[in-house]
Amino acid sequence: MDKKIYKNQKIDEEMFFYESESGLRVYLVPKKGYMKKHAVFATKYGSNDNKFIPIGKKEMIEVPEGIAHFLEHKLFEEPDENIFDQFSKFGASVNAYTNFNQTAYLFSCTDNFYESLELLIKFVQNPYFTDENVDKEKGIIAQEIKMYEDSPGWKVFFNCLTGMYHNHPVKIDIAGTVESIQKIDKETLYTCYNTFYHPKNMVLFLVGDISFDEVIKVVEKSEKKDIKNNIEEITRIYSEEPREIKEKYIEENLVTSIPIFTIGFKDDDVGLDGKKLVKKEIATNILLDMLFGRSSKFYQELYNEGLVDSSFGGQYIGHKSYGHSIIAGQSYKPEIVLEKTNLYLENMRNKGLNKEDFERIKKKNIGSNIMGFNSIDFIANNFINYLFLDFSFIDYIDLYDSISFDDISNRFNNHYRKDNYTLSVVKPV
Amino acid sequence: MLAPINERMNIGKGINLNLIKTNKFKSNLVSLYMEMPLDKDDVTKNALIPLVLKRGTNKYTTNLDIERKLEELYGAEFSLNINKKGERHVLRFTIESPKGIYVEDEKYFYDVIDFLKEIVFNPYLEENSFSKKYVEQEKENLKKIIEGKINDKRSYAITRCIEEMCKNEKFSIYEYGYVEDLDSINNQNLYSRYEYILNTSPIEIFFIGDYDDNIVEYMEDTFRIDRENIVDVPREKIINGVQTKNMVREDMSISQGKLVMGYRTSIPYEDDLYNALLVASEILGGGPNSKLFRTVREKESLAYYIGSMVYKYKSIMLIDAGIDFDKYEKTLEITRGQIDELKNGVFTDEDIEIAKKSIVTSLKSVTDSNYLISEFFLSQILSNDNSTIDETIESILNVNKEEIIEASNKINIDTIYFLRNENL
Repeated sequence: MDKKIYKNQKIDEEMFFYESESGLRVYLVPKKGYMKKHAVFATKYGSNDNKFIPIGKKEMIEVPEGIAHFLEHKLFEEPDENIFDQFSKFGASVNAYTNFNQTAYLFSCTDNFYESLELLIKFVQNPYFTDENVDKEKGIIAQEIKMYEDSPGWKVFFNCLTGMYHNHPVKIDIAGTVESIQKIDKETLYTCYNTFYHPKNMVLFLVGDISFDEVIKVVEKSEKKDIKNNIEEITRIYSEEPREIKEKYIEENLVTSIPIFTIGFKDDDVGLDGKKLVKKEIATNILLDMLFGRSSKFYQELYNEGLVDSSFGGQYIGHKSYGHSIIAGQSYKPEIVLEKTNLYLENMRNKGLNKEDFERIKKKNIGSNIMGFNSIDFIANNFINYLFLDFSFIDYIDLYDSISFDDISNRFNNHYRKDNYTLSVVKPV
Repeated sequence: MLAPINERMNIGKGINLNLIKTNKFKSNLVSLYMEMPLDKDDVTKNALIPLVLKRGTNKYTTNLDIERKLEELYGAEFSLNINKKGERHVLRFTIESPKGIYVEDEKYFYDVIDFLKEIVFNPYLEENSFSKKYVEQEKENLKKIIEGKINDKRSYAITRCIEEMCKNEKFSIYEYGYVEDLDSINNQNLYSRYEYILNTSPIEIFFIGDYDDNIVEYMEDTFRIDRENIVDVPREKIINGVQTKNMVREDMSISQGKLVMGYRTSIPYEDDLYNALLVASEILGGGPNSKLFRTVREKESLAYYIGSMVYKYKSIMLIDAGIDFDKYEKTLEITRGQIDELKNGVFTDEDIEIAKKSIVTSLKSVTDSNYLISEFFLSQILSNDNSTIDETIESILNVNKEEIIEASNKINIDTIYFLRNENL
């Protein structure tokens, strides 16, 4: 067995790693003295993976929108006892989420950690789908979808994705639609499960005052034994995505007190992974902070003119096959905000970025990263997200430190152009 | 064992400094709370004050200066807001920054305290009053916040249910105030209001982290001010029983209906039965094991979320769910049935154990967050409760089935609120 320890002195944290017999990668960040213990069992499978070659097959299939999320709901079903009840008995609270690229099952507790961990591993590795229980879930998920339909913030973001992307599945709503989920049946669920829930495609991440040796014992005891370790890499198919955006402007009317907007800049510098991808992400986020953050003159100007309020800000999201910067906020005049943003970017391209801004923002974010390690949830979310990008979050602060002003300048010149953005607006009914 | 207050000292009239020493966190946190009675006449002004204070101080005259200073303090996180806690309106200033050891700057925490002092005591003034420009701009921003009440439909429905249910009580007052009261506010009367708050409100300060005598002394000197009369913030009145049952329907163009059921519990937090009420609410609608989740969601597929929650200071309990418009009657019927079961003791010892464990886990988890530690102890102080987290846990564990049944039988429906779409 291959057990490794990674340390980072700057943040005074360490991470344990080992790979189980079935190929499952297990990680632990110990937090001495913390009451809360947290475990996440996650698979690299999200709403984006809707075209793939099923395990053991040759032909590609396309599955209904929202199936990864549906599967997440259904894994909680077992033939005998209810999974929620079993976790509750241990005093653990169990949950799950699905996003574009991953599905995660997690629990947190203060007591009975190892028993709960065993339960987590077992229930995720033990699907039980019947026609009846699949049908029953459709009503619940329909309510979840409707809840999001009434959320202006969610809609303005998804409309922006639909505007930026022609074919990439990131434009599809994670939960699908009330119509698309009707097409889901137990056979397709098993196909997705068998393809994507192989231990080699999954990670187990733990954080808290936990013993790694105990964890290893639990994993060895509870993981499924009859799984072949020598499987091939899963083939996922993403349709060819043009460099250009699809639509410049999208508008919808919903119940909201004030128009909300999202400006999305589509990234065409894609195809990176691991450290290179994360470095690009950090550089872009520093850039967004310098350009649009609270300490930027531009934000202060718009704020003073009453064009934006403190909800205004930007964030970059990057994955191997896609990436975008999102600048969002609320304003009575979103079109003017866009116009000013364009003028400002043009002006900054001529003038150049300010190195002092860069240093200050970097200092701030390094401090935030250190403080983030106070929080079990922060640690769990970040490690899981970055593990699926083939990057270990324990090294994040060092990578951050290594970003130079030149990295930022180069990125600025390539990413924010006049022809690669979509404005999405949700206006009051 | 679980982070008791190490020291509580009175450093001025109505000003207490609470010190909690811990090595668990990579940062130090200071929170300063000012308590005021929740009053319709003052609520809009109170809500505007944090927005104006964030605009500038004597030393950092613009928000840009403030933001840049925070960045220089290694990304210190500063927040300033107003919150309704029962029938109190509480102004909170919090600053948190990495410990010196992580940023190789051992002494800078004094700067952090100075920064907080600057915000609290030295706001940006023009001719002895707040800046007219800042106040007028922030009135616009507050208007947006108040009108933004409708944006999150779930919390809107909860707020509306409380407004209807408690319409003759202070608890119905909206914490961000009222648009119609904005007109009469100007830079002068707003500054007078802030001076009044500074001079009269009970102040609780928390320090959570690593400190030595020098820091404590510095904090004492910084936050000690001369004051005369401290206002008495009265305890909430608890209405016993239900006068008139209320049914309210409101229309909005939405996809999902929001149902909120408001109950009077008549059990004040000082009452021995209060912990039993918490356990009862947990059994009814606490987590995925609860009676409501099991029936309304898992058995009948009516909702994605349904849950119940006790409002400590006001002794009311709300149940809320997102459902289809035509499932209103059915959801009500099932919920009534589940409450009847609770009153009749139709729940198992295991249900009790599970509910207790869930409450205990949340209590223990408080100690993992410096911010939650300060909120927990503030809540203890507001309710005159000296128990530590350990003692609170102990009293939850001591609740028995008879008490849960007794507490459940005090729960009475008062108001049913339904947000729906008449066109669907």
